[in-house]
Amino acid sequence: MNETLLLSASGLSKTYGSGETAVAAVRDVDVTARRGEFIAIVGPSGSGKTTLLAMIGGLLTPTSGSVMIEGRDVAKLGARERARYRRESVGYVFQANNLLPFLTARENMTVVAAIGGGDRRAAGRRADLILEELGISNRTGALATELSGGERQRVAIGRSLMNDPALILVDEPTASLDSARGRQVVELLAFEVRSRDKLGIMVTHDDAMASLADRFIELSDGSLVGAGSSG
Amino acid sequence: MIGLLELRRRKLQFGLIALVVTLVSYLVLMINGLGVGLNIQAGSVLRNFNADGIAYSDNAGLSVIRSELSSEAVTAIADADGGDRTAPLGYVAANYRRTSGVVKSAAFLGFVPGTIGEPDLVKGRILAADDERALLADSRFLAVADLEVGDTVSVTVRLVTEEFVIVGEIDEGAFFFQPAVYVLLSTWQRLRYGESGDGQPAASIVLVKGGDLVPGEGPGYKIVGKGTAFNNIEGVQGQQSTVQALRVFGFVIGGLVIAVFFYVITLQKVTQIGILKAVGASSMFVFRQLVIQVLFVTSVAVAVSVLLAWATALALRQLPDGVPIAFTTQTYVLTVAGLFVVGLLATLISGRQVLKVDPIIALGQQQ
Repeated sequence: MNETLLLSASGLSKTYGSGETAVAAVRDVDVTARRGEFIAIVGPSGSGKTTLLAMIGGLLTPTSGSVMIEGRDVAKLGARERARYRRESVGYVFQANNLLPFLTARENMTVVAAIGGGDRRAAGRRADLILEELGISNRTGALATELSGGERQRVAIGRSLMNDPALILVDEPTASLDSARGRQVVELLAFEVRSRDKLGIMVTHDDAMASLADRFIELSDGSLVGAGSSG
Repeated sequence: MIGLLELRRRKLQFGLIALVVTLVSYLVLMINGLGVGLNIQAGSVLRNFNADGIAYSDNAGLSVIRSELSSEAVTAIADADGGDRTAPLGYVAANYRRTSGVVKSAAFLGFVPGTIGEPDLVKGRILAADDERALLADSRFLAVADLEVGDTVSVTVRLVTEEFVIVGEIDEGAFFFQPAVYVLLSTWQRLRYGESGDGQPAASIVLVKGGDLVPGEGPGYKIVGKGTAFNNIEGVQGQQSTVQALRVFGFVIGGLVIAVFFYVITLQKVTQIGILKAVGASSMFVFRQLVIQVLFVTSVAVAVSVLLAWATALALRQLPDGVPIAFTTQTYVLTVAGLFVVGLLATLISGRQVLKVDPIIALGQQQ
């Protein structure tokens, strides 16, 4: 594991609304993490797990606090810079049905390169390579709607790796999978994160899946209530 | 490009949109064609006059039907211009009998051979000074009446029927929605006012070419340019404003159809747009895909509708009494350009929706 800190979030808070209707989704959370780590964020529904993930991934702007990634504060980036940050530094794996249904498995991966204006052929070669590694090279030309839940998540993992980002953020990746397939997907994720020296952060409410991570962070009512090694 | 890939994979959905846009586009083209056709029928003869201006009697209110110029006024106009670039012209509507026996109306224009009022000949010969019972007929007149040069046609005016020989074919168009027929000015006088008598008008109007007489006025006459003259043809103003209103409605409806369809599609794709934004796509990138799709659908629709309109115009021309729809290159170009403009303007509504999509939606959350 690389000992240099990749993520250093401190005093992170997110409040929705204002006045009497204000809801504090995340309260004063500190998180640090290094490359090569695979971390699980656990907690009950509504505890602020996804909000925390979204702030780290540049999808939400914190109400207060900072999210330092590779030396820059993501919380202070403008809309365009945040889009660029998400494109270049973050790979997302969302819940099921997160692929574009009218694109094939391969196109769903190369679309990330197309957004960034990258070389199409190089992106295609990289997509083929990753699909091969993920064991679904035989489904390259299948439309997203023709893929099984497990295959879709593998393609989503592949898409998250396309731009070789430092961070892989994962939101409930096993939500629509049975436990065996879910476990396979998370194991694959953990393997890719560790072997590629990325930082992986996974939101899950499933303890069995969290146990596959290196360590966990537990939230309750938006506050950090526990942390430790998994397994 | 994702936009084009989506078009390819969702052929049915976009095909149906293209079909509706095609129909609207076809409708707009036909309305514009009707505008041009009505213009041609209303007064292409007037537009084709070898003149810059037209002199009317000053009390005619710029109406060819009501204008009656005395020989003194005709001479005054000729003298004012120098005399060699003016030509008196008479107008009267007369009925003619087709070979099928059907009675139709034609615009009989009396002219003096050798003046600027003489029409260009397509076939046959021009009228001689003694061709009192001969006429030059427009191609359209000959086609719809199933006549040709050399045939005789019976013409009825003022309860009198006379036989005329068609000695030449011209291509001057129509006047007051009637095919044009040229006769000698003296023949026109006889048809219009009966056998000669004192005090008869010498012409309905006088054509004026060049010089500085247009616009102008003198004792008993008023001269205006051809554009003004055309706009003052009875019914033209009302007809043009009606067509113009239909044209505007057509473009507005076309724009709305494109706007609504793509807006609905955009609403259906909010999650997908959210995912694209979450993985780093800018709003501009997503909007570009939308514009590509609108341009593609509009291009296909416009291409098909132009072909349809062209085929329709061709078919209508085969009818004996043609529907007044005509297309010029300008009609096609302006209509197509207009449809592209309204199509692109319509995408702005969907573009606003694209801007509003928050990438957080990809995580199943709303901010």
